Amino acid sequence: MNQLAIPLERHCLDNGLKIVLSQDSTVPIVAVNIWYGVGSRNERPGHTGFAHLFEHMMFQGSKHVPKNKHFELIERAGGTLNATTWFDRTNYFETVPSRDLELALWLESDRMGWMLPAMDQEKLDNQRDVVKNEKRQRYDNQPYGDWDQRLQALIYPKDHPYHHPVIGSVEDLDAATLEDVAAFFGTYYVPNNAVLTIAGDFDESQVMDLVQRYFGEIEAGAPIPPLPGDSCLEPIIGDTVREHVFAEVPLARVIIGFRIPPYSSEDFAVAEVSRALLGMGRASRLYRALVRERRVAKGVVTYAFPLLTNASMLLTWATGYPDSTPEQLEAALTEEIEALVEAKQSEVDRAIALTETDLVRALEHVGERANLLSMFDLYFDDPDRLNHEIDRLRAVTVEQIRDFAASQLGSDNRAVLVYEPKRKS
Amino acid sequence: MSLLDRTQPPASGEIRQFDFPEVQTGALPNGLDLKICVLPRLPIVSVNLFLRAGEGSLVEGRAGTAVLTGDALEGGTLKRSGSSLAEALEGIGARLGVSTGWEGTSISVSVLADRLPEAFALLAEVVLEPDFPSVEVDRVREQQLAEIRQRSMDPSALASDEVSRRFYAEGLPYARPQVGTESSISSVARDQIRGYAEACYRPGSGGLIVVGDVDPEQIKSLSSEYFGSWIGSPSAVDNFRVDAQTRERRVWILDRPGSVQSEVRLGHVGVARTTPNYLPLSIGNLLLGGTFTSRLNLNLRERNGFTYGVRSRFSFRSQPGPFQVSTAVGNEVTASAVREILSELESLVVDGVTRKEVDAARDYAAGIFGLHLETAGQIASRLNQILVYGLPDDYYHLYRDNIRSVSTEEVTSAVKAHIHPDEVQVVIVGDADSILGSVDALGLGPLEVV
Repeated sequence: MNQLAIPLERHCLDNGLKIVLSQDSTVPIVAVNIWYGVGSRNERPGHTGFAHLFEHMMFQGSKHVPKNKHFELIERAGGTLNATTWFDRTNYFETVPSRDLELALWLESDRMGWMLPAMDQEKLDNQRDVVKNEKRQRYDNQPYGDWDQRLQALIYPKDHPYHHPVIGSVEDLDAATLEDVAAFFGTYYVPNNAVLTIAGDFDESQVMDLVQRYFGEIEAGAPIPPLPGDSCLEPIIGDTVREHVFAEVPLARVIIGFRIPPYSSEDFAVAEVSRALLGMGRASRLYRALVRERRVAKGVVTYAFPLLTNASMLLTWATGYPDSTPEQLEAALTEEIEALVEAKQSEVDRAIALTETDLVRALEHVGERANLLSMFDLYFDDPDRLNHEIDRLRAVTVEQIRDFAASQLGSDNRAVLVYEPKRKS
Repeated sequence: MSLLDRTQPPASGEIRQFDFPEVQTGALPNGLDLKICVLPRLPIVSVNLFLRAGEGSLVEGRAGTAVLTGDALEGGTLKRSGSSLAEALEGIGARLGVSTGWEGTSISVSVLADRLPEAFALLAEVVLEPDFPSVEVDRVREQQLAEIRQRSMDPSALASDEVSRRFYAEGLPYARPQVGTESSISSVARDQIRGYAEACYRPGSGGLIVVGDVDPEQIKSLSSEYFGSWIGSPSAVDNFRVDAQTRERRVWILDRPGSVQSEVRLGHVGVARTTPNYLPLSIGNLLLGGTFTSRLNLNLRERNGFTYGVRSRFSFRSQPGPFQVSTAVGNEVTASAVREILSELESLVVDGVTRKEVDAARDYAAGIFGLHLETAGQIASRLNQILVYGLPDDYYHLYRDNIRSVSTEEVTSAVKAHIHPDEVQVVIVGDADSILGSVDALGLGPLEVV
């Protein structure tokens, strides 16, 4: 494939809000996407789950937008919307028919600038209940539902901002007050901590006037405070750490996680390609060996978390058959992971080819385009990185992958999380 | 001081005229429909081959054969092993997917445009020359059985299976899980898989859909080259009539001791995709439980805080699929949630719908339609609907106009005709000890803990 050429333009308002524009009028729809530089890593002890609870509060109305009006107006326009909270950021996004771009800008700017006047105790209590239900539905009532928080706790020490789960604890959610909501808003939801991307069908001669009109009068906030806790840590865990969970799960699952360089490091590309060799597609090492040939695993998953704060995570997992033991799964996973020190060039080529297809497919959606541009701007001050993403991965050599396997995927850097079906008494 | 009057939402701009992309339709002499749509925006192509090899045409003892056969396609071809096949496909960056439903099997490939001819050749090899080695067939069977076991502990999957079992008369295809059952899957032999592919992977009444950055002439010649000599029609077709298990309102609690939440499903047999009421009923469902601001979600989530979300849905299939409301709620509010859902259904069919709600739902449906025409895959799946359900070729060209002309009266009469609060089956997967008393006290009808 030739070089990607997603067009983009950058601006910055006086209040510090960064803007990325990417025009494409093939379909008459437009995506509006805002990333705020705040996530669960910014939460202090006793306040876990707050960034996510706050995300819910952002849909409860603002000074000029009554409760639920946000959903109603976007749905009325025939648009979609959502928001997500993660470790390093929170994002809010709408895709609407292009004639309703201004509506989306009005809604997003109103909650960036005028959210607090609309907050009250009733809304907080209601959304606290919704979040508790979300936690029950997605984590507590699901087999393996708590895997990510257990893995985080194994890979990151107690003081590190990635140690605690994004969804938080029920006790901390219960303790959240309206004053906390106000303080959080004033500290993090400020234009100088946000990127606004508009992608799709818009009028290039007018769009910046609209942005200025809706966002220009929002006042800049103070500089963003440093992360709480202690984010310094060694590049590897230093040992094999384990947790063995007997739970109401149908099949054994073994998850092996590794501490790897952060997303901002040049070495992260090596981790990404390595994980693709291991688990992306059906010609990958883990699928071929564990699923197809040895038939110890029903399925395998690998993922490199793109996290910023000093170290990220690479995870591999294998889910067994009814008669597979966790020991078999762990041994098979470990063997294949260690064999990566003999990676071949043809595997790298395959991984890059699949990654290219997946990236182009993702970019077919203006919403995904906008999301990636916001991310690259917020994280790296470089939205154009989207056009060079594939080159970054293509530059990874087979020697780098072998070195990575030797230095980063060994027994001195493993977090092993085992789920074993509870035995019926 | 605010410089701008922010008190009113800005008005919408002019509607930009936009048509469903142009589609070239034709057919190969063997009966395989061909639909080609040029979408030059990005260098990507979606190819989708639809065959009438669906679970709906299988007798109960063979349930799951179509799904297994589809899954076992990755096991290899007469020319190469499963591993070599995966390497050949992924080496050119092609993603192969097989999905099997009640009506048929779709085998799709997504690939960058410059690798399309190779991908076409591989697709044809997979479908026309599958090998189904025993070891691979056994593997996909074991995977499927393990998947069934996994579902047996997932409350939401349990609820879906229980809905099928309780809504439909025993023995009907829709009464069982689409993937089959443990016993039916265990008994399907490798020769039956081969025989099934031989009999049902046939071009007649199937179709090939190609969408993306392509030259239609090249697609026509690739299609003839690779699929032209293939002949025949699938031997098995759906021929069942759907009946409800009962018209009496009943409550089923599937006990899952220790559940911290109840999965609730409430509904009955719905209506087929071919119903003339399709559009008004879709609008009715949107305002009942198809959007965030629907009646159900505003009640259960926003007013009562019972749930993270609630949805209603008609599953439109070639025969009447289920209509159901689904949600997950805390144990202590399970009974209250059921009562609220039922009262929303009752007021919908007694009082009908308002013009304001219909206007909003129509606007939503017309707008969202455009949002789902971005990608080659989305357009291919729309064209697939035309093929599967025999819709007119201009169906999607006229869709927005047709949806905008649905009237309030049509929606009211459609929901009255197809939603029956007195006949609902209430299915709850949860901790019976905590919820039984309060659910029983609702007095909805005979209750059984299973």
